[in-house]
Amino acid sequence: MYKNRIQASYSMSRPPHPGGFSPGLNQKGVIDPPSFPDAADKLLKNTSEEPFMGPPGVLLLADGTRAEGRLFGSCSTGEGELVFTTGMCGYQESMTDPSFAGQILTFTWPLLGNYGIHPGTSESSGIHPRGIVCRELMVNPDHRDSIGSVHDFLRSHDVPGICDIDTRALTRRVREHGTLLAIFGPIDREDELKKRLESMHPPDQEDLVGEVTLNHAAILNPGASDEEGKPLPRLAVLDCGIKYNILRELCSRFEVVWCPASLPFENIVSDWKPVALFASNGPGDPAHPGAASDARNTLAEAVRAGLPVMGICLGHQLMGLAAGLRTYKLRYGHRGANQPVLDLHSNKVHITSQNHGFAVEDPAKGMLAPHPSGAHSDSNENILESKFEVRYVNANDGTVEGLDLIDRPCFTIQFHPEACPGPHDASLLFDRFSDIVDDHLNSTLEVRSRA
Amino acid sequence: MPRRDDLKRIVILGSGPIRIGQAAEFDFSGSQACRALRNDGYEVILINSNPATIQNDPEMADKIYIEPLLPEVVARILEIESPDALLAGMGGQTALNIATALAHEGTLAKLGVELIGCDLQAIDDAEDRDRFKKVCEEIDLPVCRAIACSSIDEVLAAAEDLGAYPLLIRPAFTLGGLGGGTAFNTGELVEIARQGILHSSIGQVLIEESILGWQEHEYEVMRDTSDNAIIVCTMENLDPMGVHTGESVVVAPQQTLSDRDHQNLRDAALKLIRRLNIKGGCNVQFAVEQSTGEYRVIEVNPRVSRSSALASKATGYPIARMAALIAVGYTLDELPNPITGEGTTAAFEPTLDYCVVKIPRWPFDKFRTADRTIGTSMKSTGEVMAIGRGFEEAFLKAWSSLEYGSPHPRPLTMADASGGETMDERAAIPLDDATLETWLSIPSDRRMAALFESFRRGWDIERVREISGGITRWFLHRFSTMASIEAEIIEAGISSDIEKIEEDSIRRWKGYGFSDAHIVDAMNGFKPQLDASVVSEMTKHRHSLGIHPVFRMVDSCAAEFAAVTPYYYSTYEGGNASRGIDRVQTESSKEVRRMVVIGSGPIRIGQGIEFDYGCVHAVGAIRDMGHEAIIINNNPETVSTDFDTSDRLYFDPLTLESVIEILLRERADGIILQFGGQTAINLALPIQSQLDHLHSMGVELKMAGTSPDAVDEASDRHRFEEFAARNELRMPRGITAKDPLAVRNGAAEIGFPVLIRPSYVLGGRGMEVLADSKQLDAYMSEAYVAPEKPLLVDEYLGNAIELDVDAVCDGHEVLIGAVMEHLEEAGIHSGDSTCFIPTQNVSDAILEEVEEWTKRIGLKLGVIGCYNIQFAIKGDTLFVLEVNPRGSRTFPFVAKSTGIPLARIAARITMGDRLEDLDIPERQIDAVAVKAPVFPFIKLRGLDPAPGPEMKSTGEVMGSHKSPAAAYLKARMATEIPVPTHGGVYITVKDADKHSIIPLAEELHSMGFVIHATHGTASVLRESGGLPTNTAYRIAEQGSPDALDLMRQGKIQLIINTPTGSGGAILDGNMMRRLAVELNIPFVTTLSGAKMEVKAISELIKGVPEPRSLTIGTV
Repeated sequence: MYKNRIQASYSMSRPPHPGGFSPGLNQKGVIDPPSFPDAADKLLKNTSEEPFMGPPGVLLLADGTRAEGRLFGSCSTGEGELVFTTGMCGYQESMTDPSFAGQILTFTWPLLGNYGIHPGTSESSGIHPRGIVCRELMVNPDHRDSIGSVHDFLRSHDVPGICDIDTRALTRRVREHGTLLAIFGPIDREDELKKRLESMHPPDQEDLVGEVTLNHAAILNPGASDEEGKPLPRLAVLDCGIKYNILRELCSRFEVVWCPASLPFENIVSDWKPVALFASNGPGDPAHPGAASDARNTLAEAVRAGLPVMGICLGHQLMGLAAGLRTYKLRYGHRGANQPVLDLHSNKVHITSQNHGFAVEDPAKGMLAPHPSGAHSDSNENILESKFEVRYVNANDGTVEGLDLIDRPCFTIQFHPEACPGPHDASLLFDRFSDIVDDHLNSTLEVRSRA
Repeated sequence: MPRRDDLKRIVILGSGPIRIGQAAEFDFSGSQACRALRNDGYEVILINSNPATIQNDPEMADKIYIEPLLPEVVARILEIESPDALLAGMGGQTALNIATALAHEGTLAKLGVELIGCDLQAIDDAEDRDRFKKVCEEIDLPVCRAIACSSIDEVLAAAEDLGAYPLLIRPAFTLGGLGGGTAFNTGELVEIARQGILHSSIGQVLIEESILGWQEHEYEVMRDTSDNAIIVCTMENLDPMGVHTGESVVVAPQQTLSDRDHQNLRDAALKLIRRLNIKGGCNVQFAVEQSTGEYRVIEVNPRVSRSSALASKATGYPIARMAALIAVGYTLDELPNPITGEGTTAAFEPTLDYCVVKIPRWPFDKFRTADRTIGTSMKSTGEVMAIGRGFEEAFLKAWSSLEYGSPHPRPLTMADASGGETMDERAAIPLDDATLETWLSIPSDRRMAALFESFRRGWDIERVREISGGITRWFLHRFSTMASIEAEIIEAGISSDIEKIEEDSIRRWKGYGFSDAHIVDAMNGFKPQLDASVVSEMTKHRHSLGIHPVFRMVDSCAAEFAAVTPYYYSTYEGGNASRGIDRVQTESSKEVRRMVVIGSGPIRIGQGIEFDYGCVHAVGAIRDMGHEAIIINNNPETVSTDFDTSDRLYFDPLTLESVIEILLRERADGIILQFGGQTAINLALPIQSQLDHLHSMGVELKMAGTSPDAVDEASDRHRFEEFAARNELRMPRGITAKDPLAVRNGAAEIGFPVLIRPSYVLGGRGMEVLADSKQLDAYMSEAYVAPEKPLLVDEYLGNAIELDVDAVCDGHEVLIGAVMEHLEEAGIHSGDSTCFIPTQNVSDAILEEVEEWTKRIGLKLGVIGCYNIQFAIKGDTLFVLEVNPRGSRTFPFVAKSTGIPLARIAARITMGDRLEDLDIPERQIDAVAVKAPVFPFIKLRGLDPAPGPEMKSTGEVMGSHKSPAAAYLKARMATEIPVPTHGGVYITVKDADKHSIIPLAEELHSMGFVIHATHGTASVLRESGGLPTNTAYRIAEQGSPDALDLMRQGKIQLIINTPTGSGGAILDGNMMRRLAVELNIPFVTTLSGAKMEVKAISELIKGVPEPRSLTIGTV
């Protein structure tokens, strides 16, 4: 199962990265692929200016919790839903993961920024959390690939952070009371912060997917072929807030059309003629009536049209909703690199990377580990014209981690096989999808030739 | 796969005596395995030669064998017990080697015993260098590149090919690595390679790339039979490659790898464990070149190890327990996560929200003449671990846990360079920069202090990195931060008093891990002496500001789940954090008593696993009585720091400051100091001095057991002399001399030989026996004596029998555990002695007197709990040498020999029970038990391999049998130094022993041994004894053959050498013993030892004595 992962390399380093995100670059058959910004690009020009002295700041939680610390990054005000991630490294990938849009991200690992910020390692073009909370900020990162500190990185994207916070106490608070609204900023403006916190609305109510999705569809690796020169099948990818590494993984198996979340199915089909569809991860409530619902409809149409479909994270939740299951807010979600997932077919455990605050209800067991608010979507109908089964569950809390559609070339998973950050245990799921698409193409070819 | 029901009886192998490189970690892993399997309904039979372990206690195993860990002995036990399976992965290399031998020779197959928990193929693939290399290449993992060469031309071509210096040259097939080395340039390469080719029996050398200076990373992996595999913990060594990981400062989790790097290595580790098909726990080591990202697989340990013990304690994940359950068929997802309880599974990867630092504990405080440099082989005897939220806090906590040198880093002075002596006159002179550079560049126990010092002096990060051979900058930045905080404290000290230091500053300093003592010391500008009362003032000031640590749970999940493990560490958080939202929890329930047991800290010479045994029993007794037992300890290798041993475990330094905070947090009712050895007993008076303060903070603490005053009366020489006189107890005569003249007069008055020892460590010399005034002159020329540093001069009881007594007193009655007779005469440290239960040469009258005195001492001193007394018998006269008002090193040996669980009984007495109320098991009297020491001489150069008044042994073994000779033979065999049955004996004894040696030589001769001896001894043997004796030259005579020649020629299988302690013979003996150690030739240095050795030989000629299982009771 580990065959493809490690190249026969004696070095973990790469040639100096020029910055940007261009997964089609150097791919066989691809000429002149487009390039997109990587969040770290800003540090390639912007080096640190002066020694950092953080002004005093204060963090306020909706339940009245208050903690003092020092501000860093843009040193301004950050507000959103307070969540925590338990990964011990991979902070750059997490900060640039669009699924964190609308949130204040707390790192439970107490030392933030040990190895700096690396070019070409971001998961999108920006920093998505609305604020970063940590215990101790490392101002002297040490790594051969580092081009700046976390402080520089946040400042270049105008995102605030607060350090010297007892993050373990915060985590316990969130664990016990569920995710909470929070705000932090300069301590001398505490009264103002308090007022804003009182009138704050949960970011779930915003159309976060609409905020983070891209504007115009684009082919990432036009003309991509396999080693033997055979063109790769074309895949339409619905960007609900996609991580770059999903696109990298997909580009090595497909010719990828990167599409906005709200691009209607008929336009996708008529403009791009894909043979399969992929729905990505993304932020917020999967049942939100905005772009997420558009993507849900597109997904369902693709299933009904018989296309192979894979969904990750939000994509999985959209599939759940389309299958007539409800989605609900988890108590504090799964965010980290050590979530064990049990494959009910093989009875094997994968250690997975996860980042989600909502889940799909279990058809038999219902809504496990719910948020105290009890927030969940309305009941709806199965619009897939297909049955499904729960294929993966979380080995800790039993929540649904993946669905297989029965007799359809479609499956979705709640966790992140693309890792970044996190373990590669589940990366074979991209191969599984690739095989499904190949089989599907072969069988349709057969059908056609028989006809 | 579910539990295997086809297995019923399982034999578990232990790892034998505590040695350098193989310490208490295997007691911990073996105990976990025993408990796990026993709880699951398997019958467990344990074999170990070490009596001091918890694993061979009745609570742990159904049947216990304390027998030599040798294949033939284990085979015999398997025959007797006919178990279904053998679990060998818990007993380190010792157990693995036995299992491999028994499997390869077909014994296991013949007896129908299945080897579980490790796979022979996996062991061979992992441990055979060539096979391992092939395995790695097969799955495309990089190992160090090496090229075999047979000529200098080939060597030069290989150097070209490998790219960069340094290069390692390893000659193929030579003895002892002769002719190998590291070359830093072409000249050196050619020179070393030429030698290497010459020395190699096949004229070949291996030119290998050097990974000196690369980062070292470790991955602890678990895998089950269904191929679920997880990484339990990652660790990073602060010391670059070139220093053994056991000798390195290790940090968990790794700090300087990006997610990309980490996942790369994680993939490689999983790929490797899968290819090797290891089921259970293992450890994979990588080297990473930081500037290029190149990496190499260094090695795989296909079993639980010292690193996995550290990983278990660092994460809370019980690796050994899971490995044992995997061995009987379970898969990880079937096992509940023991930390978070039901609902989560063991198939998860722990995530930490704290930083763990391990620092090795070296024995150079005891062995001042030993070579202090550290490298690829181990010299440390143990280690400490500390947990903090940041590196600085964890590091400084670990430092203060070491009980080594200064309790916190202090500016280095010339006194630090003088080999451990207190040299006040040099303490004011800063260490010179050149020496500091040497300490940075050549790894030794001084390197961490040197790192701190270099930043104190404002050295640049890059400079320190360069000098230190490439220590990762991230760590250097941490040291630089510590130095700048210290500078801030010094600055504050110049401008203000302790009481005026502001809350914010104190919080900030505490957040970085600075102890109150460190703060006060820095504020006072690091004066030579630190006044404890000023430290206590600081603590009180801090308390008045409400600054206390918060206690955090080691839950393996960064607080994501509510954990059930009561395993904590203290942290002051940083900055303003602790004013925020997490406060010291107050414990409300007062119904049960909360008893704090002080552990024994790192394993070191004189303080071994025996004390952990005592602590675990104390905890067991407290819990049995329905009270809550709380343990504080900092040694990651031990059973006491297993999270389910006690009701609550605090992994923290055993300093007054940290203990006080825990007592406050716990609102403790009592504290037990008797079981944690000297570490714990040293806290008695300091804690007593804080009782009022504790009371003012609302804690009514009782010092359980013997009162601190009685402890002081027993320990303070003057007070004890008065006590002895008052109670008509005879002691050897002695004086305390405050100037050289008094020393001389005292010695003359007492009469030579005298035992002389400093009240302090002086001039590189400790305790010595001086035969005459000439030796006294030599001693005095190096010693320092002053009114505040007196020398103690004592009557030396030559040829006296020494006894050890372990007993328990409840204030009304005394229970004597055992009277032990030392094989060696008085003068050899009792920890290094070989001793017998019951005594062999003591008259009933004397025994009665011993018992009577023991009772008198216990009752009159007011001992409540355990104590140990050393007696000497000279002629028919009994002397009391010393009283230790605490559990002793021999407690477990007594329990296992007599079946009386002395430590447990003592703990119950301490808790207030009366002896008459306890149902004490019947004493086992059907066998003689012998305890023998195990020495670290092979690992430590520069140390005279002869026992003396200062303790040198690291551990002990035990043998028991109906016949004393067979019992002794078993113990001797268990030391793993061969017992010869034929060959040559080299005899060189002092004049006093020359006639007594004749009957022994005769017996050896009659058993077929060839006798070699020096002139003097030979002529006595020939003339008076009529024995054919070959004469050899004394080494100093520079003739041939001398003893060394004979030894190298393989003609000597046993050495009998009683040192004279004067003239050239000292050097002679030293060189001979040194070589004997290296050639693994047994030697005895006492006449009594020689007598027993001869008996053992004649016993072995009859055959290996039959193993016997032990019966040990409980209360």
